[in-house]
Amino acid sequence: MTSRIPAGMRYYIGAEARLRRTVEDVAMSVFEGWNYEEVITPSVDYYDLFEQGMGQREAQRGFRFTDNDGRLLALRPDVTSSVARMAATLLSERPRPLRFCYAAPVFRQQTQSHAEWRRENTQLGCELIGVGGTPADLEVLRLAAEILSRLNLQSLYCITINNVEIFNGVAANLNLETPAREQLRRLIDTREAAELRQFLQNHASNEVRAFSQPTQLTGKREVIQAARKVITNARSVAALDSLEELWTEIESLGLQDSFEIDLGDVSSLDYYTGLSLKIFVHGAGSGVGRGGRYDGLTGSFGRPEPAVGFVLNLDALTEVLGRTVSQV
Amino acid sequence: MITIAIAKGRMQDGALLLLARAGICLSEEALNSRRLASLDETGRYRFIFVKPADVPVYVEHGIADCGVVGRDVLLESEADLLLPLDLGIARCRIVVAAADAQAMTKVQGMIRVATKYSQIASAHFGARGIPVEIIQLSGSVELAPALGLADMIVDLVETGRTLRENGLTIVEEIAESTGRLVVNRASYQLKAEEVARLIQALETALNGKQ
Repeated sequence: MTSRIPAGMRYYIGAEARLRRTVEDVAMSVFEGWNYEEVITPSVDYYDLFEQGMGQREAQRGFRFTDNDGRLLALRPDVTSSVARMAATLLSERPRPLRFCYAAPVFRQQTQSHAEWRRENTQLGCELIGVGGTPADLEVLRLAAEILSRLNLQSLYCITINNVEIFNGVAANLNLETPAREQLRRLIDTREAAELRQFLQNHASNEVRAFSQPTQLTGKREVIQAARKVITNARSVAALDSLEELWTEIESLGLQDSFEIDLGDVSSLDYYTGLSLKIFVHGAGSGVGRGGRYDGLTGSFGRPEPAVGFVLNLDALTEVLGRTVSQV
Repeated sequence: MITIAIAKGRMQDGALLLLARAGICLSEEALNSRRLASLDETGRYRFIFVKPADVPVYVEHGIADCGVVGRDVLLESEADLLLPLDLGIARCRIVVAAADAQAMTKVQGMIRVATKYSQIASAHFGARGIPVEIIQLSGSVELAPALGLADMIVDLVETGRTLRENGLTIVEEIAESTGRLVVNRASYQLKAEEVARLIQALETALNGKQ
């Protein structure tokens, strides 16, 4: 018997395991309070499902193996794909909206030595399926905020929000080929201001200028107002409108200190179709959660409808809470 | 407080000079000591000095909020970081070099490439479908062709003198490399004001030079 355990795997023992369970219970009780039904999805599923749900690049990170009949299986690298399929098939007749939550481990191959080195992570997540618009977006943001404040992280967390259609509208207007669009996306995502300005010289567009000052991409309402001065295409303007509407709601709930607008968050454009969000907590070197609107997802399982959701990383949260003095 | 990881070696002096012009100074005493972590004079910034390849590691994990490191190191590490500023310091090129300038067309079959930058080298040749065998070395890469270990090398070049003295010429340039300011994604949001202040101070210092 070997004493080694595979890279990216770990034990939780005693107090740490207890803390982890407490965090999970807090999240699940908040979900329950908002009428989210718990769902337990299969741990093993066809690889096709995840490729359809997450896109090839992400799905490829799943652990894969073959079924008895030779079909490719995967240890689930995410839960959302499976919930979307369930909503579109098994529950296609159920009245909308559907509200589901889960606490489930997901498995992904990771490059060693990077910050997200774990290959098993437990996701605390929720999906709101069948309603679009600001009220649904706001509902999941409030859920995330409530979980974090119930974990005593009120002043320590920050949720960034964006609407990916702002970038999509600008890029569509530029008529870029796929590689150039991907380059522009990457330069904005990594805030490479100098390279971005160089890119602009070859593409005469005023609108992209909105993205060329990295420090002006993040902030409160003024970020939207600054963007409006430069961005005029209808698609982006509609997205700016809906982001501003969401921001107004956030302000009226008094949550604006915990939220930031980040127009530069363009990291998962293939997946999200409107709102995208990222969750950061002091003490965690990378994000502890992410989510957004993915209206295109259930359509790939045969029943197109709006959907929005997010996941929190239970292991990252446990680590932060384990290190801070004020426990749950 | 913001922690800045600085790559030791060729980057270090240029980085400290630039930071000083941006109003962020280390005391004489701290500069002359062998301590690997020191505070600046205002106590707002903490500097840590680490090997270049470790800068992206410290910053990606959020142990350091920011870092100053060469683009060559970033390309090699593929770390997930924000890159808001090109500092223009420690400028150099990443090149393919060989004894024969026409080597690319002459080698038959598999090309053997000696390098410290295996990621950059395999990406460069891979993008054009050229099959290569990467031989990972940790220094004195210029020796490899002369001794018959490899057909070519991929390495950093500043003046080209080391290459010439070892009988090598540049076959291709892969990329230019300069010192970059890198920022951790979480720090960029959670310490937004402090990070923005640092970026602005450095930007002002950079523009002053031109």
